[in-house]
Amino acid sequence: MRYVLIAGMFLLSLILPGTLFHFWSWSGIKPDLLMLLTIYIAMHHRLLGSAIWGLGAGLFEDFYLGRNVGMYTLTLVVVAILSNWLAERWYRENFLLTTFMVFLVTAVGQILVSFLSLGAGLHWSLSDIGRLVIGVSLYNAILVPLTYPWIHQSFVRGWLRYRPRYER
Amino acid sequence: MGKRVNLTGIAVLVFFLLLGVLISIRLTGLGSHFPNPIGGTMQRVLSPIEQPILQLGNGIKENFRAIWNFREVQVQNEALLKKVDQLTGDNLKLKEEVLAGMRYNELDQGQFRSPTLAKFEKVGASVINRNPTTWYRTLTLNRGSMDGVAPNDPVIGDLGLVGKIVSVSPTTSEVLLILDGEGQVSALVRGSTGNSTFGIVQGNYTRGSRLTSEGNLQMLFRREDGVNPGDLVLTSGIGGVYPKDIPIGQVKEIQLDPSGLLKTAYIQPLINFDALEEAYIVKQAGGK
Repeated sequence: MRYVLIAGMFLLSLILPGTLFHFWSWSGIKPDLLMLLTIYIAMHHRLLGSAIWGLGAGLFEDFYLGRNVGMYTLTLVVVAILSNWLAERWYRENFLLTTFMVFLVTAVGQILVSFLSLGAGLHWSLSDIGRLVIGVSLYNAILVPLTYPWIHQSFVRGWLRYRPRYER
Repeated sequence: MGKRVNLTGIAVLVFFLLLGVLISIRLTGLGSHFPNPIGGTMQRVLSPIEQPILQLGNGIKENFRAIWNFREVQVQNEALLKKVDQLTGDNLKLKEEVLAGMRYNELDQGQFRSPTLAKFEKVGASVINRNPTTWYRTLTLNRGSMDGVAPNDPVIGDLGLVGKIVSVSPTTSEVLLILDGEGQVSALVRGSTGNSTFGIVQGNYTRGSRLTSEGNLQMLFRREDGVNPGDLVLTSGIGGVYPKDIPIGQVKEIQLDPSGLLKTAYIQPLINFDALEEAYIVKQAGGK
């Protein structure tokens, strides 16, 4: 059930930014939902598990977009590792800290995407990159109070909780 | 005794992994035609879900528009009431404007039914997704290679050019809009006297206006070129991707460069890209 739910959330995270959030975009800026989900997953797993989820999410997004394969894979692995590292140090149930963490990690992820995009031949000015990175990070951070309490509860006590084999 | 960690080995492994990823990113960039069966399957499975969600979003936006923009609607309402009063007392002017509008529509449709376009086979498609990431201005259409769509096929809307296909899965295709700075169109500006000036239309979504939802187009000209606001911009047919004489937009504003040698024409696209729901893909026998 846990894996079906996570797979469903991955799919929704890919579909919603281009559909529903297209109408709720601010000056063309939309949230990066898959990055947000990767951060949440990494906060509730160990380092290796986080990296593997990041790798899976990244590959999923790269194949869905069908271009620059490896860009989101690399980015989401880094995002997952960084989120896990920060979550180990910061209190996970403090929503304000989590919001700040999501902002910070999303910014790092978007900066990485922008530099990889520049390497892949995209022509962008630094000021546009700055506005976009801050915009996406803010949007993701704003979504934290609306989404994190549910996800966190589910990871701790609900359907997303990891159950070892002997418990099932 | 703990295990000894071979740091050099790990560093070499990480280096080669990174190198591999960077090469992969470069080789599978926008416009490359690498086979992507996994992505194709995902698009095929997800495309039936995407369209209802897009329609749902559109419905929510339409229904809540008045609430979100209450102040704007109120101001618009007051302005419209004044306008109605003014127009009621100026019937003749209204008739002239209606006639001018009808002539303009006829002109647009005449341009759109270009003989160069008529010889190509066209396939109608619906928009099922819009730029999933913020980095490119793209649309996803519900037609793919199974319908004969190929990369580089031009896409046109009811009034003019939309963009070109950059990637295709069996049931969907991705369109790079002309608003995106990565897609350039060879074009000509047709003035009121009938003379044409050639140039390149480029989306300025890579520049200052990248973060506006409307986007815009621009063309560079020499100072002495006879281009004026109101002139129509059409595809020139040079370049091998877009057929000739498809309307792109209308020159809205002209600004002289600080050097005084060049001028930039800002072009208002004829297509409302945010409201675009259907488009035609022009099949060019496998693309060029």
